Amino acid sequence: MLNNRNIVIGIAGSGGDGVISAGEILVNAASSEGLFVFMLKSIGPQIRGGESSVRVRMSDMPVSTQGDRVDILVVLSWKDFMRFKSEMLLEKKVIIVSDVNDPMPDEDIPLTEAQRELWYKIPFAELSKDLTGTTQAKNVIMLGAISELFSLPKEALQRSVKKKFKHKDQSVIDSNITALKAGEEYVKNNFNTYDSFSFEYEPRGPRLVMRGNEAMALGAMYAGLEYYAGYPITPSTEIMEWISKYLPQKGGICMQMEDELAAINAIMGASFAGKKAMTATSGPGISLMNEGLGLASMAELPLVVVNVQRGGPSTGLPTKTEQSDLMQAIWGSHGDSTRVVIAPADVEDCFDCAVLAFYIAEKYQMPVIILSDQFIGQRTESISRGFISSPDRGFRLLYNRDTPNEEDLKDFKRFKYTETGVSPMSYLGIKGGEYLGSGIEHDEYGNPDSNVLTHQTMTEKRWKKFDHIKKEFRFERFYGPKDAKLGIIAWGSTKGAVKEAIAKANDMGISVAAMIPQLIFPFLIDPFKEFIEHKDMIIIPELSYAGQFRRYLRGFLRFSQYNCKVKPFRKTGGAPFMVEEILDQITTEWEKMEASK
Amino acid sequence: MSDKLKTADYKSGLKPIWCPGCGDYGFLNALTSAFAELELKTEDLAVCSGIGCSSRLPGYVKAYSFNGIHGRVLPFASGVKMSSQESTVVAIGGDGDGFSIGAGHIGHAARKNIDITYFVLDNNIYGLTKGQASPTTPLGVKTKTTFYGNMGTTLNPVRMLIAYNASFVARTFSGDPKHCKKIIKEAIQHKGFSFVEVLSPCITFRGKDQYQLIRDRIIYLNDDHDPSDEVAAFDIANYEKNLALGTIYKKPRPTYGEIIKEKVIKKAQADCTSNDPKHIDNLLAMFKP
Repeated sequence: MLNNRNIVIGIAGSGGDGVISAGEILVNAASSEGLFVFMLKSIGPQIRGGESSVRVRMSDMPVSTQGDRVDILVVLSWKDFMRFKSEMLLEKKVIIVSDVNDPMPDEDIPLTEAQRELWYKIPFAELSKDLTGTTQAKNVIMLGAISELFSLPKEALQRSVKKKFKHKDQSVIDSNITALKAGEEYVKNNFNTYDSFSFEYEPRGPRLVMRGNEAMALGAMYAGLEYYAGYPITPSTEIMEWISKYLPQKGGICMQMEDELAAINAIMGASFAGKKAMTATSGPGISLMNEGLGLASMAELPLVVVNVQRGGPSTGLPTKTEQSDLMQAIWGSHGDSTRVVIAPADVEDCFDCAVLAFYIAEKYQMPVIILSDQFIGQRTESISRGFISSPDRGFRLLYNRDTPNEEDLKDFKRFKYTETGVSPMSYLGIKGGEYLGSGIEHDEYGNPDSNVLTHQTMTEKRWKKFDHIKKEFRFERFYGPKDAKLGIIAWGSTKGAVKEAIAKANDMGISVAAMIPQLIFPFLIDPFKEFIEHKDMIIIPELSYAGQFRRYLRGFLRFSQYNCKVKPFRKTGGAPFMVEEILDQITTEWEKMEASK
Repeated sequence: MSDKLKTADYKSGLKPIWCPGCGDYGFLNALTSAFAELELKTEDLAVCSGIGCSSRLPGYVKAYSFNGIHGRVLPFASGVKMSSQESTVVAIGGDGDGFSIGAGHIGHAARKNIDITYFVLDNNIYGLTKGQASPTTPLGVKTKTTFYGNMGTTLNPVRMLIAYNASFVARTFSGDPKHCKKIIKEAIQHKGFSFVEVLSPCITFRGKDQYQLIRDRIIYLNDDHDPSDEVAAFDIANYEKNLALGTIYKKPRPTYGEIIKEKVIKKAQADCTSNDPKHIDNLLAMFKP
C-alpha cells in the first residue's frame, strides 16, 4: 500500500552501477531533512563487481524495519535484479523505474500485470554517455529522475551529492550536479503526467546516519576503550576498521592479530595490564574465542567481546543474519564460566550496549558478550543528533575498575572474598599489587590451589557477582497493552519487526503485547514472570532453527504454571523477519484464542 | 642503595611443583638473579606463560605474573606489553606449549618485533602430562604416546626463529647458571622480540643421563661469531652434532611499540582536529548527513 509519508525504494543493479553509492546519497539526503531512514544493503558473494542492491525506507514517522515490500523499484540491470527477487519482495502496485535499453525482454521480467502498470523507462546509460562519455553517472542521473518522479527532496540530494564527492575535484562535483539535473529534465520533458505518487514529509533538523557496527565502535570509544585486538571476519570487520582509524587519535592501540585465539588473548593481556579492552568477531571466530572467555572468567578479567552473529554453523552465511549463537554465548567454554550476555536491538542500541558492556565488565570483572547480528551491524539507520545525552536511552554510566587501596596492599589478596564477589584489581605499576593471575584454580592471593573447598568457594565467589548484576540492571522494552492475553517475547534484531507488527495488530483490533529483554544472561526472572502472568499465549519468534531462545526461556520459566501456551516461530535462511510474517502469527493465534472462547 | 632488590626478593615464596633434578630450577635461579642485576622493579615486571611444567614458573617469581592458556603466551604477553610499554615483559613456556599448540603465534610476535623476551625451556618432552612426545623429541624415541618410537623428525627452534626474522635468537643451558644468566640479561636488554632456547633437562621422563648428554654436545660461541651475520647464524643452527650456546643471531630494528608511537599515533593525532575530552563530539561529526 503506497503511503505518501512512508516509502520503501529498492535499487538493484550490477556492482559497477553505483547502486550502493546511490543508496548512501539518498540516505544522507533524507537524514539531512530530518527523516527517519533505514537502509539495508545486499550484495552478491563476489569481491568486486557482481550484483548489488539496497533498500531505503524513509518517513517522517519513526521506522524500525526495512519495510516488507518495495513501493518503488529502480532497476539498473534486470539480470542483476533476478538475484534478489526472493529477498526483495514487491508491493502489488509497485512502481517500476528501469533503463529503457536493458537487454532483458520485458516478458522475461517476473512482474505481474498489476506491477507492470506503472513503469517508467528511462535511458540512464545513454544519458550518462551523452553527458560524461561513460556510463558512470547513471546512478546519479537515476536519483535526479526519481526525485522528479516522486517529489523526493531535490535540494537535499544536491547537498548529499556535494558531500559525497567533497574530496574530489570541483569538476567531479559539478558534473554530478549536472547529472542529477539531467535526470530531472529528462522526466520533465518526456513524461506528460507522473502524479500517481508524490512523497510528502515534514522537514525537521538533520539526523545522524550510522551503521550498527559503527555505533558499536563509537560506544566503545565513549566508554573509554584503550586497547583493541582483532581479526577480520564478516560481518564484524567494520568495527575493527573504524577503531583502527579513530582509536589511535586518543592514543589507544588497535592490533590486528594472527587469529581469533591471539585476539582474545591479547585483549586479556591488555586487561591484565589495566586497560579497557575489547574485540569483535563473528561465526567461527567466536568459537575460537571460547577458551579465552573461560580464562577471563577464571582470572576475573574485565573484557568486552562483540559477536556480530551470522548464519551458521561453520562458514555458513557470512553476509546474512541469524540469532543462532545464543546458547554458545551463554554456555560456551568449558566449566562453569561466568559471563554476561547482552543484546542490542537496533543501531542506536549498539552504542548503548557497548557502554553498558564496559560498565559491567569493569565493575564486575568478567567478560561481557554483546550479541549483535549482521542485520543490525551492517544496516544504516538515521538517529537523533542528541542521542548520547538522551535521558530515555537506558544506561550510560562509565566505570573504572576498583583498584586496591593502601590497606589492601599491605597483604594484597587479588581474589579476596567479598560481599559482592568483586575484589580489588591491581595492575602493572602498582607496587605491592603484584600477584599471579591464572586459569588454574587459585586461593585469595592467586596462588594455585586444587583444594575441594577452594574451588567451591571460588566458584561461588565468581557466580555471586550475578546476584548484584541482576539487582543493578533491568532493561526490557515493552510494546502493546499490558492486559493483552496474547504476547510475544523476542530478542535482539527481531525487535524491529515485532514492534511494527504489534502496532499494526493493535490498530486492527487485536490486543497483543511484546517484551524484548536487553540483558540476556544472567536471567532476570521477574520481568518475564510479570509479562507472562496474565497471558494465555506467547509467541516466540527467533532466527534460530533449533529454537534456542525458546529452549533457553524454558530453562527458567514454566509457562504451563501460568496456564500460558507457547507458540514457537523459528525461522532460518539468513533473512530477517518481515512484519507480515509476525503479523500472520499474531492473527492466527488470535483467531484460535477467539474461537476457543 | 639499601632499597636495591636482591635475588630472593624476586621469589614469590611458593614452592615449585617441579621434580627434583628438573632443569627449570636452574633457570628460575638464573632468571631471578638476572632480574636483580638488571635492577628491575617487581611492579614494572610482567612474567607470563601458557601451560606446562615450565609455564608454572610465573607463580614462583614476584611480579605481575600470569599463567594463562596452553600455547597463547605470546599474544597475551603482546597485549600486556602494548598496554604497559614501560614495563619489562617476559614470556615463558616449554617446547610443547611454544612449538606445538602455540607455534602459530611465534612468527607473528617475531615479525612484529614486539619488545618481549620469550624463553622456551626445552626438555624435548611433555612433562606435566607425564611423558608424551613433543615437537623436539628426537626421532625414534619411545614415549607414552609413541610406543613404537617417535615418528617425526625434531623441530629446530633456533633455525625456525632466524627464519621468522626474530631480532634476537640465542641458546643457553639451565645446567650452566652463569651462561644462562648472561644470556637472560642480554635477551631482556635487547629492544625488540628476543627468543632464547633454554636447554632444560627433564630427567624424570627423558632419563637421568640428560645433563651429561647435553654437556657432551654443547659448544660455546666466542667473539669470532658475528650475530648480525644471518648466514653464519643459520650454519650454527644447522650443526648436527653440537649445540652452540650463546647469542646466535641479533639484528635490531624498530619495535612494534616504536612504530605505533611514531608512525601510527603521531599521524593519527596530527590528522585529528582535536584531542580534547569532548573527542566524542568530534567523532559524531562524521555521522552528520
